[in-house]
Amino acid sequence: MSRELSELYRSLAEDADEHTLAVPDDLRRRVDRRARLRMAGAALGSALLVGGLATGTGLVLAEERGPLAPPAAVGPPATVPASPTVPAPPPATAAPGVPTGGSPRATGKPTVTAGSTAAPPRSVPDGAFFVQAAGNRTGVTPVFRDTQALPALCDARYRSDAGIVQRRTRILTYKLPRTPKGYVPDGSYANTVTLYRPGRADEFLRELRAAVRGCPAQPGVGGGNASTSRLRLLADDGFGDGSVLFEIRTPARDVDGNPTGGEEVRLVRAIRVDDAVTVLWEQGWEGTSSTRSQVDADSRRAVDAIADWLR
Amino acid sequence: MRDATSFDEFYRSTSRRMLRYGYAVAGDHTEAQDLVQEAYARAWRQWGGLAAHPAPEAWLRLVVARLATDRWRRLHRWRAALSRTGPPEPVPPPNEDAVLLRGALRRLPAVQRQALALHYLFDMSVRDIAREAQVPAGTVKSWLSRGRARLATLLPGLPAEELEANDVA
Repeated sequence: MSRELSELYRSLAEDADEHTLAVPDDLRRRVDRRARLRMAGAALGSALLVGGLATGTGLVLAEERGPLAPPAAVGPPATVPASPTVPAPPPATAAPGVPTGGSPRATGKPTVTAGSTAAPPRSVPDGAFFVQAAGNRTGVTPVFRDTQALPALCDARYRSDAGIVQRRTRILTYKLPRTPKGYVPDGSYANTVTLYRPGRADEFLRELRAAVRGCPAQPGVGGGNASTSRLRLLADDGFGDGSVLFEIRTPARDVDGNPTGGEEVRLVRAIRVDDAVTVLWEQGWEGTSSTRSQVDADSRRAVDAIADWLR
Repeated sequence: MRDATSFDEFYRSTSRRMLRYGYAVAGDHTEAQDLVQEAYARAWRQWGGLAAHPAPEAWLRLVVARLATDRWRRLHRWRAALSRTGPPEPVPPPNEDAVLLRGALRRLPAVQRQALALHYLFDMSVRDIAREAQVPAGTVKSWLSRGRARLATLLPGLPAEELEANDVA
């Protein structure tokens, strides 16, 4: 056995151990609730069908309806292609004994039914992320990444991280509405949604505010050259249940690394909605600076997405 | 009737290993958490029969692998698009073994990532992997050998002379 490769895998395992899963009790409850909702939906679909009104309604309820038959044994896998290709559509029902692929949906959107109290969410679904306005779309599909949610702020650490239930970050590009289609993007975001345990989201905003105040300047890199970035809080109001907005200004340089005399400005906004925080870290595109009006517009969309999710 | 106690015990005793496996084949923490949680969700839905299964953990690994393969296909397209026109990749911290391996694994076919993960994380022999994957042992040897050779080209400093398949039988 290759000893070095073993060590790399050991490092990988240790890295994985830094992350945890939901407790089994939560997982069971979520699965059972999802099954109940599906069954209720199926019953409603049947009633509508009887009334002659439900043409096609049952189709959307077909997948994973009700408990699946138990596997008899470890089923032989279908031949797994050696290289990624177009995925086969998920089957309507799983065959007993053979676990199927299909679309993983571990992070389902919490649904509130009439007369019931929904359990607090335990994960961040895709729906917690905002949908871009049509005029801002570049045609590049946003992608989820395991990456930094915020720029480094000197040596700031956030104690509120201990209260994180789940954090997901999505990278997306945008164009300004006036930019014609087919042009390079005008900017990009690292957009993070973090779900905190009750009370910890507000603590994060306080810590972030203090971190920016405590880091008015820090070494940065512009065009591959060492430079100094200056940071400052900006007045911010009217976003969610509270927000923090700050800017990072770095001397701009041309493609040869020579100072242009201008500045590159990055805007970062964190917005709390209940126990969730969405962060929009505008990262530009090939030296562009953040446009406040665009960041404001996307921030409003981000708040709406969180509110819809938590509703 | 599903027994919650036995499921919880199974979950607690296997979830760490399963998350490592999910991470090794998916290459991303969030993806791994999603895949593994979905696999356990499916296990709970079928727990009435699965509890008596002779190898429920193997069944679960198979689910994780297939979910990862499906998801990988979609993400592969996104990443391909993003690499053409998207923002630059965040630079990983240097000398971080896990980050280096994770980056390299992303460039391997799914079957090779899975075989390598079963071998290095679960200490499974070629014969065991072949039995679990229901493929001939020669196929597994080929997956491991090619996967390791590819990693050797992607990870400078990994001694090529140790990347032979003859120590995995």
